Amino acid sequence: MYTRREFGGLVLGGMASVGLFSRVSSAQSVFPPNRSLINGVQFGLQPFCYHDLPMTPANRGTLINRLVKNGLGMVELHATWVEPQFAAPGVSPEEVRQKQRQWRRTAPASFYQSIKKEFDDAGVTIFTYYVNLNDSYTDAEIDAVFAAAKILGAQGCVGSQGLRVTQRLASFPGKHGMFMGVHNHANLSDPDALNNEASFVKALSFSPHIQATLDTRHYTAANGDCLEFLARHHARMSSVHLGDRKRNNGRSTPFGEGDAPLIETLRMIRDNRWPIVALLEFEHGTLRPNVDEVQLMFDYCKRALA
Amino acid sequence: MAGSAAAQSGGRPGYNEAFIGAPLADSVMQYNKESYVMYGCAYCHGVNLVPRGEAVDLRRSALVGSDVDGTLIVRALRAGFWQTTRLSPMPQYSDLSDQQLNAIAAYIHHARQRDRYTTLTQAPLPAGNATAGQTDFAQRCQSCHVGTSLAGIGKKYDAASLRARLLEPPGLTGGSFALDRLRDSQRAEARLRHERLLENHSAEQVANLVAYLQTLN
Repeated sequence: MYTRREFGGLVLGGMASVGLFSRVSSAQSVFPPNRSLINGVQFGLQPFCYHDLPMTPANRGTLINRLVKNGLGMVELHATWVEPQFAAPGVSPEEVRQKQRQWRRTAPASFYQSIKKEFDDAGVTIFTYYVNLNDSYTDAEIDAVFAAAKILGAQGCVGSQGLRVTQRLASFPGKHGMFMGVHNHANLSDPDALNNEASFVKALSFSPHIQATLDTRHYTAANGDCLEFLARHHARMSSVHLGDRKRNNGRSTPFGEGDAPLIETLRMIRDNRWPIVALLEFEHGTLRPNVDEVQLMFDYCKRALA
Repeated sequence: MAGSAAAQSGGRPGYNEAFIGAPLADSVMQYNKESYVMYGCAYCHGVNLVPRGEAVDLRRSALVGSDVDGTLIVRALRAGFWQTTRLSPMPQYSDLSDQQLNAIAAYIHHARQRDRYTTLTQAPLPAGNATAGQTDFAQRCQSCHVGTSLAGIGKKYDAASLRARLLEPPGLTGGSFALDRLRDSQRAEARLRHERLLENHSAEQVANLVAYLQTLN
């Protein structure tokens, strides 16, 4: 079993192996002890999965409380938990984007520092910052997003943008000593979409600062083989979004009821000491309070690694 | 957090009442609703059909409006839709049983009807066109409401009450539609027709029908 320090070293080692993040070591050293390092696998949460908790700044405190209650010490934080909302009745989408763009370029560092402190105080590390960057983002705005992520303590930004936008983004993360995680869906009809191994390979070719964020649910639903992907591309993977679905565009299921090889994925990460963070995420329905559902998922993973 | 978890469950352990809502009085419909939530429909389409993100708004879906007894919805659930550049994906649910799929379809209709009933009855009643209402009545209602069955109804109820009773006749609500169909096919047919009217008629069409019914005095 790894100690927390060893896991941190592995994360850095993995990144150093692709010639990146020489400046990350100092940031890593200030990460608080992480409560969700389980038998060598670092767990966190992708809180997009909370069906019952809108992703707003007002709910950020509840999110942190839930993470602590579930024993999770790492999170992939969506920007909507952080940024003010500009959408309002009578405000056009273009106006919303304009205000958002202006706000991002002028938001003081102290704004993000205070949010980082909220998570630090609860012992939760912001691993990545999730922003769906697209064509409407100016270069200055993209730089502002990466700079914000850096202040939050994130090691990279993650998004579900297509290949064309990813190519445009490729030069940005390196400037900030970060990575850009690319996340797949199960969209097999769009040639620009991240949906299979070939599309990941193409995205990764744009820059050594691009990393794969493999979503096991969608990859399985698109009839991909997660284990083969891990075996071939682990050195370029920052994380997995860990969840279950059935193949052939099947439905999302509770952990263990679908076709995603969750246990094998976790054991591969553990046994090979790969610095790949496992971010729990679910889209399946549940009658339970969602914090209870996350606990069931986390407990399933713990048993898989016991 | 333990306190808030208890509050979320509404006293039913393991039941997220804060998110799903208090259990429905009709236990069969509650089962249908739980199926809808448990199999993940609510994640995109919302518990009460208020969609999250890019999902189709089932309150306004033409497919749901055209569906009579679950056939179209169940077919869509079985097949799913792959994502396209214009359409968000929907997973396929071919592993669920007919009963499970029909339960989901039944709840979608129920939730759509509740939403439409609230929307239509809470809005101010616009002035209707009695002539247009009479034409609509002849096409959709006359075959059941023959003779003098509605004579005097325009005197008996005011316009708002007429609208509410037209959208949800008190004698046709509640209970199990499946059992209705076995015991009393005429009642089941009437229920189905009023539910379809509720799901698909515009506020203007309803106002026209009300205006016509007010002339039956």
